[in-house]
Amino acid sequence: MNEELTLLELTDRLLQRGVVLTGEATISVAGVDLIYLGLNLILTAVETLEEKKRRSA
Amino acid sequence: MKLLVHAIARRPCAEPPAGLRGSTLEWIAAGELGIWATPLPEGTAELDRDDALDHHRIVEALADREACLPVRFATRVPDATRAAVLIVGREAELSSALVRVAGRREIAVTLVWPEAAVIPGRGHRVQGGGPGTAYLAARQHEHAADDARRKTAEDLARRLETDLAVEQADVWHVMCPSDRIALSSSILARAGEDESLKARAIEIVSGYEGVRAVVSGPWPPYSFVGAR
Repeated sequence: MNEELTLLELTDRLLQRGVVLTGEATISVAGVDLIYLGLNLILTAVETLEEKKRRSA
Repeated sequence: MKLLVHAIARRPCAEPPAGLRGSTLEWIAAGELGIWATPLPEGTAELDRDDALDHHRIVEALADREACLPVRFATRVPDATRAAVLIVGREAELSSALVRVAGRREIAVTLVWPEAAVIPGRGHRVQGGGPGTAYLAARQHEHAADDARRKTAEDLARRLETDLAVEQADVWHVMCPSDRIALSSSILARAGEDESLKARAIEIVSGYEGVRAVVSGPWPPYSFVGAR
């Protein structure tokens, strides 16, 4: 759970912060995989983890 | 061949790390500053999560060697000439940011609501009245619950700043980024104090009631690249 949160926080920074270069620069990523990791969708990840925990209990 | 940009620095370092996917990292001089980038061969598949983490590895290694400003992941430019043009005219702003973050790292503090994701009041139903009344009453409860959570998150943010005794310019908060997260904060540590700040943050937030805390980092100063 903590590791997952850390990864989400890091990915959020890589994708949403840092210097933005405008002009001829383009930002392009494989959407689904990275967006899934975005902090905004953390709920999905947390619920999945909690479900796994419940099942293994 | 396009270039994937990683960071902006004042000068190249002697032994740069490997670039993305093991390629050679390229230094592109641009006036008083320069850009670190990896040449991406034509036909390179879309960038994915592993590439994002590889970009993080590169920025971290560069920041260990020389002050640098991380560039948002997945920024591509057509070639070196056009890469250099992108920072022309921004030297003063970028140089000022470089001075500010030199030798500094950020840590992340995430405060998570402990209970299930349902916000109190969500799904609330009133007795009597028609469906329109019930709908409006439920919406009112939801808004009130959202406002209360936001207020709590703001209080936690202020408390964190006070407890850690950090300057406001060195803190970046995002309140309630999702139903489960109360607060996502970035705190810029003073040079050489990132690990001690992290230890202090862990100790402090473990005493916060009503939320569960995770402290991460230190990382390059992704959240503090603007001159403030």
